Order: sequence, then C-alpha cells, then structure tokens
Amino acid sequence: MPIRVGILGFTGKIGALCVGLCDGKDLVFAGGVMRPGSAKSLPPGATIHADVASLAKASDVVVDFTHGSQVEAHAKALASGPAAWVVGTSGVSEEGRAAIKAASQKIPVVFAANFSLGMNVMLALAERLGSALPAESYDAEIIDIFHRLKVDAPSGTAEEIARAVMRGRGETAEWEIGRSGHSPRKPGAIGFSSLRGGAVAGENTLMMTSRAEQTVLTHKVGNPRVYAKGAMQAVRWVQGRKPGLYSMKNVVAGDAQ
Amino acid sequence: MSLRIGIAGITGQVGRLLIDEIGRAGATLSGGTIRPASSKSVPPGIATFTDLEELAAVSDVVIDFTHADVVIPNARALTAKKTAWVIGTSGLTAADEAAMQAAAKTIPVLYAPSFAPTAVLTPELVTTLASSLPTADYDVEILETHHKHKVDAPSGVAIAVGKHIAKARGQVFDEVAVLGRSGNVGPRKPGAIGFGAIRAGEIVGETSVFFLSDDEQIVLTRRVLDRSVYSAGSVFAARWLAKKPPGFYSMKDVLQGRER
Repeated sequence: MPIRVGILGFTGKIGALCVGLCDGKDLVFAGGVMRPGSAKSLPPGATIHADVASLAKASDVVVDFTHGSQVEAHAKALASGPAAWVVGTSGVSEEGRAAIKAASQKIPVVFAANFSLGMNVMLALAERLGSALPAESYDAEIIDIFHRLKVDAPSGTAEEIARAVMRGRGETAEWEIGRSGHSPRKPGAIGFSSLRGGAVAGENTLMMTSRAEQTVLTHKVGNPRVYAKGAMQAVRWVQGRKPGLYSMKNVVAGDAQ
Repeated sequence: MSLRIGIAGITGQVGRLLIDEIGRAGATLSGGTIRPASSKSVPPGIATFTDLEELAAVSDVVIDFTHADVVIPNARALTAKKTAWVIGTSGLTAADEAAMQAAAKTIPVLYAPSFAPTAVLTPELVTTLASSLPTADYDVEILETHHKHKVDAPSGVAIAVGKHIAKARGQVFDEVAVLGRSGNVGPRKPGAIGFGAIRAGEIVGETSVFFLSDDEQIVLTRRVLDRSVYSAGSVFAARWLAKKPPGFYSMKDVLQGRER
C-alpha cells in the first residue's frame, strides 16, 4: 500500500521538493491546504483541502514545512488524527513545542529542526563536545548562514545545536543572541550570530574555543533536497507507529517501536 | 582551601608554563622541584625543593613533566606521601610503566602522552562521523595546516585521523589514502581518503576533516591557538584527579564528562 502524504506548505521551497519526491508509487501526494487568496500556482493534480483536519483525513502522514506561528493551530487540528505528523517548521516557540508535545500523546509525531543525516550526526557530536569540554574554559558560539529570504533568527538548527551542547553539559546556559553594543561575554553563555544573504541553502557552525585551542564543527547544505529526502525518510519510518514524540535521531537509527 | 598543586621539574619548558596555568585555574602553587646544582632561576616567592618527597608532603597533586630516568624514584616519593600524580613524561620503559601501575594501587595516577583535550577527543569524533555517514555517499578529505618550518607532509596527526576513519569504514588505510594530488590524477576514486597539506607562516597546527556528499558537507576542524594547550590540559587533569580514589587513569577518563 502506498503512503498518502499530505503536505502543509507545499508551495514553499522544501514543501515543493517534498511534492517532487512523491513518486506516485510508494509515496502518493495527498494534497495540501492553501491560504485564501494565495496566488501561488498548484502542482499538477494537487488536491486542495478546506482545512488541516480534512487534509489529515485524506493522509497517512502530514508533512509540515510552514511557519512557526502556525504550529499550535496545526497541532490542535492534527491531534484528532488519523494521520501522523512530520514537523520540519523552523522558528517554533516554547508554546509551539508544548503544543507539539501535547499532540504527540494522540498521534505519532517526528519533530526535527533539521532533517539531514549529516546534521543529526553533528548534533550527536555537539552533545559529546558539551559533555567533555567544561563550560568555564570552552566558550560555545554558534553561527548560522542562510539565504536572504529566511525570516527567523537564529535558525531552528542553531538553537538545536545549543540544546545539544546544554544536554552534554548537563546544565542550561544563557543565550546571547545577536550581540550589539556593549555586550561582554558572560561565562558559560552560548553565543549566536546569524548571517543572511544570497541563496545559501543552510550552513550552521559550532565553535568550542578555549584560551589555547578551538574545535569547529560545520554543516553545509549543498542542495535543499537533503531536507526533503530526510523528511520522506521520516514519513516512511513514522507511518504506523504508536503515538509519541520522535526525533530524526530515532529515524536515522531506524529505531523499532 | 584551594587545591595545592606542585610541579616536578619547575624549571623545565612545561614546568615554567605551568606556573601561570595553575594560578589561572584558581589553584594554589605549592612549589616545585629543581635539580640540586641547577642554575636556572624560579620566579620569586615560589618554594623550591630538591627532594620530590618534600614537595609531595605539601601538595594534593603533583604534575610531573620531568624525565623517564626518574619515574621510578618519583613513584616512590609520591606513594610515600599519598599525593596524586599527573605524569606527562615521554619515552617510558616497561619498568617505568610497571612502577606507575604499582603506584596506582596506593594513589590516583593519571598518565597521558598528550593533555590537549580535543586532541584526545578527535579519534572518537571522527570515528562517529565515519561510522554514521555511508562510505558510498560521503567522500572524506583531510586538510592540515602547519608553520613553514615543518618539513614532512601530511602531518602525523592528519595520518592518524585518516587511519581512524579507514578503520571505522572497514578499509585498509594504505589502499585508500591519496597523499597529495598533482597532475592528471583522474577522477576521485570511490572510498578514497584524500590529504592536503598547507605550510604557511607560524601557524601552530590545524587539522580539518571533510565529509562531502552530493547534498551536504560536514567539516570538523581542530586548531591549536597556543602551545599552552598541553600545560592547561594537565592542570585540568590535576583538578579532576584530586577527587578520585587510587587507580590508573587517562585523559579519556577525564573527558568522559559528567556521570550519566
């Protein structure tokens, strides 16, 4: 049986790539939802649903690459099932994260700031660096570089890297986001710098710097289809799972139920 | 009371760096040993001893970068005073190693050929990368940069990194290593591990590992910013060791991180 994939944000960059990966054989594009008055053109054969709840009824898995502000509404609509939810939306607030968690009590959810294999390995290394290198001697700084159209900063992936470092350290840290003016570095803080320009598909860097040495870990996306491929890998994996909140770590590891 | 750290061989190259490093770490320098007829001077106000046992008596931990010749008497002096022992001496014999192991029954002993924390971590990190990213999809290239005085290439560190990667991918290093390209070398061979070597200025040392697929790149770089990285690492180790029961430890144990 092919998996029916509903796509929220199918006219967006990654959403459109996801549509392209629905080959009509094992993955079938089940359509999406369109904002009223949207002038965006539809992919051929696309079914437009009136709302998220009706898209869920026509899908096995709903893939979501939209906007952080929509996450709570999507969580509410999708919680009543029957579709699973793969969320790759960036800029999700604390409230949004709580809403995703609440929905995962009722449906299986894969939530990832970044769907690429390489980034998920990088997150594991970031956690390890955090556990090995003491916060008082090694300053953690995160740099994200994205295309000129990206609206939120820092990137969701940059925040995810910071969370991995904090997990490794076993403690939270103050985040110094976008320094400007008199802003001396606080001990143990994690700093963020966001650069925007051109068509950069996504570049995230973690620097761990002591007085005497520096380790730098960089992940660069060469082609945004890496996100769509990872999301489709998550679709295949999450289909038929028990309700719960899963990460790309589970998908990459091919975890069983 | 802050931790009392003594320096065996305080007039040596590393010993002198340790004086500043111990202060920076918020520990107390309890003094250092010098040779009986030494003409080298020690900054004023620092207690000096010609007998390690006397230094051990006033220290919680002794950091030892002396000489392989004195490992056995040093082991005796530190066990006599139950003082923890951080040792970075190179060129140890089997008898020296046995003396350290024997001392570890009475006192905590930490031996490391290198104390630079991320140098110790690097093999583990590159092994994780190599075993997580499929060989068929991710090309590995290693780039190292060193000062213009270095005569051999690629660096020993770069080769060691390449060997860890080959091992993790189930390859024979000598069959896949491409040590510098020149001329019409043809397209890259699948599974190869390529090397580049930059020699410039006074750069202390930098090694980068690239994992390159059609769609993404992951780059891990380690850079030495200051030669004090080795002395700083040994003070870090001393602070860690002071809280441990007798036993034989390595830098890997120090970097294991918080208890999980």
